[in-house]
Amino acid sequence: MVELERYKWPIISIIVIIGVLMLMIAIGFMLGILSEDPDGLERALIDIRSEEWLEGLASPWEPILGWIDNDYIAGIIGILLTIFLIIAVFSLISHISKKMKSKNE
Amino acid sequence: MHIPDGLLDPVTTVILWIVAVLVLIIAFWRLNILFQDEESERLIPYIGVLAATIFAFQFVNYPVPGGTSGHLVGGTLVGVILGPWAAVIVLFMVLVVQSLFGDGGITALGANTFNMGVIGGIVGFYIVKALLLIFNKTELKKEIKVPIATAIGSYIAIVLAAFICGIEIGIGGIIPMDIAIAAMVFWHVLIGIGEAIISGLIVWFVYKTKPELIITEKMLGVA
Repeated sequence: MVELERYKWPIISIIVIIGVLMLMIAIGFMLGILSEDPDGLERALIDIRSEEWLEGLASPWEPILGWIDNDYIAGIIGILLTIFLIIAVFSLISHISKKMKSKNE
Repeated sequence: MHIPDGLLDPVTTVILWIVAVLVLIIAFWRLNILFQDEESERLIPYIGVLAATIFAFQFVNYPVPGGTSGHLVGGTLVGVILGPWAAVIVLFMVLVVQSLFGDGGITALGANTFNMGVIGGIVGFYIVKALLLIFNKTELKKEIKVPIATAIGSYIAIVLAAFICGIEIGIGGIIPMDIAIAAMVFWHVLIGIGEAIISGLIVWFVYKTKPELIITEKMLGVA
């Protein structure tokens, strides 16, 4: 049984911070303060070659979530997916380390 | 800084994948030791939130003069808060999610993990640690000197990662190495200012609100 009381504050913190992050992305897009310009690597490649060349680079796969063209929705899905994956990975690490510890004792 | 598919040559791609996987295995093993402590699992939700913060900050591009934009990489920031090994795993997972959206290539995931996780997280962390050796000789409080060291360390790490990224691209031969390095370093000398400010402010904010989240104080020599 999961002790909910023990995780009360971490869970509240998670919800509050997710809310703040979503608000940050929403306000950023709404006010237009976020730049649509290419980032450092893209800019360097465009300067040396061209934008068409950069867009034409061959990729062995089509990104699974590449069909989401709304940046705000992509941001929210990405935030939730990241939290889920990280909690899963670190819970696995914690589970394995406790198992190893009890084996050694 | 997210290298797309098709930019690196196959040998560089494979070598950087091997290096990234080896570092991830070491990180997994090192974190096993940390998580043997009963209380450590209470950190997991916060690690998730920190990773989501890195994702969100990598998602928002701030304008940089000259028609380009920058975003936080966050390797050094995570390294200072959670330690260098956790930083590699966090950055790898963030990069995996981003590659699902097409931001950074799937074949280049090893290279991106090396540049942002290993250079940003591990090298950045030890730059911060070295800076704190100097700052420890001053009267500055840790709430001030750690954020300042993080800002400077983040800046150096991002420019170094850009330099290494230029070398990786240059090895492929699609772009001459000297031109790739010069262009990458030039733009990231500007972009790094944003990285430094955001990283320093976040560490300062964590010190103000929940200082126990910075679990590296002993490693950094400020405990």
